[in-house]
Formats: sequence, C-alpha cells, structure tokens
Amino acid sequence: MTDERKKILEMLSEGKITADEADRLLSVISKDSGSGSGNVGNKEPKYLRIMVEPGPKSKSPDKVNIRIPLKLIRAGLKLAALIPKSAQTQVNDALHEKGIEMDFSQIKPEDLENIVKQLDDLTVDVEGKESVRIFCE
Amino acid sequence: MIPMILKLCVRDKDGKRFFIWLPLFLVWIIILPLLLVPIPFVALAALIMWPSGKGPIILYGYFTIFKMIGCLSGLEINIGSGDSAFFIVLK
Repeated sequence: MTDERKKILEMLSEGKITADEADRLLSVISKDSGSGSGNVGNKEPKYLRIMVEPGPKSKSPDKVNIRIPLKLIRAGLKLAALIPKSAQTQVNDALHEKGIEMDFSQIKPEDLENIVKQLDDLTVDVEGKESVRIFCE
Repeated sequence: MIPMILKLCVRDKDGKRFFIWLPLFLVWIIILPLLLVPIPFVALAALIMWPSGKGPIILYGYFTIFKMIGCLSGLEINIGSGDSAFFIVLK
C-alpha cells in the first residue's frame, strides 16, 4: 500500500472525508499510477454523476445522487436540437429574463457533440447550504 | 444496449420498504410492437409534412426516442430525505 492510499484511508477512518470523497481520491491515485504504466488512466468516462448532499449549515436532510449515461445526454441533446424555432425563441426569452444570454438557435449538432466531449473533464464542486458535486466517471 | 433489468426501491418514513426487480426484457417484448406499429403512420406524417420542412424532424425525432431508450442502461437515481428514500437503477 502506498503512503498516499494509507493517508486517504486514515482520513476516512478519522471522519475527515466521506466515503465518496475517499473513493474519488483513490480513483485519482489509481489513474495517476496507471498513466505511468499503461492506458488505465485514459479510460473514457461513461457517466455524469450529480450529487447533492446537505452541507454543515443545512437543516434539510435531502440527498440526491444521480448517474446519467453520457450516451443518454448525447441523444437528449440531439432531440433538443429538434425543438421548433418558435419554442426556441420562448426558451431564449425565458433564459434572458433570468439573466442568461444564450441563443439556442445558434447551437449546431456538432457543437452539441463538442459540449458532451468537454463534459468528460467537467468537475463542479459547490459548497453552500448544500454541497453539489458534478463530475464524470 | 437497452436496459434489461429495473431495480426500484422505495422506503417511507416508517421504514416500510418496497422493492421491485423487474426483468425489462420481458416488458420490451410487449412494448416493442407498440413502438413499431406507428412507424408507417409516422412515415406517412413525415411525407405529408415534408414540404413544410417538418418531415425530417418527425422522422428523426421518432427514431431518437428509440435511441434514447437504448441509452438508458446505467441510469441511476437515488433520492433520500431523512429516513425516506427512492432508488431506481436501470441495467
């Protein structure tokens, strides 16, 4: 067992990190060690994981853990591209009202493919009342 | 790969648990004909709508639904609130 693995497991036993965090750290370590010896670290992610857990200040006990296949996101985005222009305008207007400047009519199928490809490297950690984590695995 | 197994688990606040393990491949045998039957009608609707430019959208949209069903395998939804929980997995 390497020192890094030992340290992670110690942190887990001391309750400094959660089991999920330990799992992620261990997978990062195995990826790093794998990249030096072969293609283990280059494994293409298949799923998008969204985790919402109550933060330390949260009173709500709600927890959400969703694993979405990236293939499903690809198919869904292609379906979204078929939305009629009139509906796209309504979506754009609704987003504009929320302060999001985005024009869906400008998004082409090849752009959607690029978006999904870039999701592979996505990691979002938001700490507030709730802890939100989005990553690919 | 289309999902072959559905696991659904619901736990309420009293700790009562409802678990279902459903072999979806049996469900697909029933659903597949229902999805295939409308194909001629969808094709006809697409042909009628072709001049207005909506024909390809109808065709592409219908077959994308098949594709989405095929991509559902691996979907996992786990929602918990206190003692109650809802868990669904498609394999």
